[in-house]
Amino acid sequence: MIAATIDDNYERIKDDLVSRGLTYDRLIDDVLDHVCCMVEEFMSHGNDFETSYDQVLETIDEKSLPEIQHQTLLNLDKKFQQMKNFTYVFGLTSAIVTIVGSLFKKMHWPGAGILITVGMMLIVFVFLPLYFITNHKEQVERKNPVYAIVGYLTIALLLVGAVFKIMHWPGAGKMIYASIGFMLIGFVPLYVVNAFQRSGKEKANLPYIVMLLVGIAIVMLFSNINMSKDLLDIYVDEALANEGRVEVAQERTFSLLELALDSSRMDQQATISKIHDQARDLQVMITGMQEGMIAYVDQPGASIEEVNGKDNRSAGRDAILDNGAGVAFITEAKKYAAMLDELVKDPVANAQIEDHLEFTTLVWDWEHGRDGVRDSPLMKNYYKNTDAAKGIALAEYVAIAYLLHN
Amino acid sequence: MIANDLLKGTLRTIVLKLLADNGRMYGYEITKKVEELSTGKIKLTFGALYPVLHKLEADGHISIEVEYIGKRVRKYYTLTETGRSWTDQKVDEFFDFVTTLTYVLKPTPA
Repeated sequence: MIAATIDDNYERIKDDLVSRGLTYDRLIDDVLDHVCCMVEEFMSHGNDFETSYDQVLETIDEKSLPEIQHQTLLNLDKKFQQMKNFTYVFGLTSAIVTIVGSLFKKMHWPGAGILITVGMMLIVFVFLPLYFITNHKEQVERKNPVYAIVGYLTIALLLVGAVFKIMHWPGAGKMIYASIGFMLIGFVPLYVVNAFQRSGKEKANLPYIVMLLVGIAIVMLFSNINMSKDLLDIYVDEALANEGRVEVAQERTFSLLELALDSSRMDQQATISKIHDQARDLQVMITGMQEGMIAYVDQPGASIEEVNGKDNRSAGRDAILDNGAGVAFITEAKKYAAMLDELVKDPVANAQIEDHLEFTTLVWDWEHGRDGVRDSPLMKNYYKNTDAAKGIALAEYVAIAYLLHN
Repeated sequence: MIANDLLKGTLRTIVLKLLADNGRMYGYEITKKVEELSTGKIKLTFGALYPVLHKLEADGHISIEVEYIGKRVRKYYTLTETGRSWTDQKVDEFFDFVTTLTYVLKPTPA
């Protein structure tokens, strides 16, 4: 009885399934039999055909049939499966290469640049395209390739920008900004729209919110890098300015010294030489520390503007504290300050000198001492040293000028 | 109810094992059997089942016999020889996995 009723409605059920998106014959057979069995079961509880069939149809989500068919066909598509496997293999390989490269970079071992570049190129040009293509193919409604393309461009630019940044190649900043732009005007709105469209049907809000937060986090991370880059640039500018002032002060001191040789103030000659020698010794110590830090990041002889690794946090510890004259420098600088204080009696000149040598007093003592140097980036330590050098040179000039005119 | 994401990787093993124990089965029968054996905790939808069955067939692990029930076609699935040995392997792998998980997840007595 039941079987006969179902047989009568066979064509209708089949048409319904086809109109809901089933087109693959072999799957139609399976689903058709399945649905008929479900109807039979409902009918065996005493319902009539229409009620039973309606109830069965209700359990089948509108989109589920095309989805099942799509999944089935993909499962059978050997090429697609191979592509998926390739994606995983390449993803794994490139991630490992990049991670190893980053570790090499941290350890200052040779080959880091090549590893990072190769790893990132694999990610950007092999893994990501494969990933987005396979992912896109797995979507049932593949209406919008824009979505995959914008996603790809955002991530690809971000990663290439990061490599350029690490390798100190020009254009890194622009790429990162472009990628942030893509994210803000492309990726994020698409994601939000998509999330809203889906949220009605699935309870899949959390992944999207998390994805959004991750996006925001990345944007903030990169804006941070740019901020600290600006800060480094400020330090470079200030350090160069200080070095310029040291030169000017030393030239002026030099002309004072020539004047002193000609003048009748021969009685001051010994004292002036003492000051000059002590100042020169301190400057030599500073130059040694500066060159040591630059050598520590593997670019001996480079000028500070060209140095890679301005943010290196162990250069100062190595070249100033452990293997440099940092500790002796503080002691000698204090002696120098005490000596000038002793020799210069004029309160105005004395105040000027004290001002120039402020770094030898408590606050600066800490800044130049163990704690201040140990965890500061190279550029900050370099800048502090130029500040000290400037103070020493100016104090020298003031002291010698005072001695010559009194 | 057992969460879908937990089931995902084991669905293939479940299907293979059922076919090994029951000989030939058709799709609806498989879902019913799973529901019965799991005392209703696992509800296999046909959406999850048929992609797996078709894949297993394409890989040569199961074969199909067709019968007509009135007008409609019923496909009975049976393990092939390779499917049979593969099933043993998959079931062993699964128990291995469960044992390992138990080690990891069970708190050790103090």
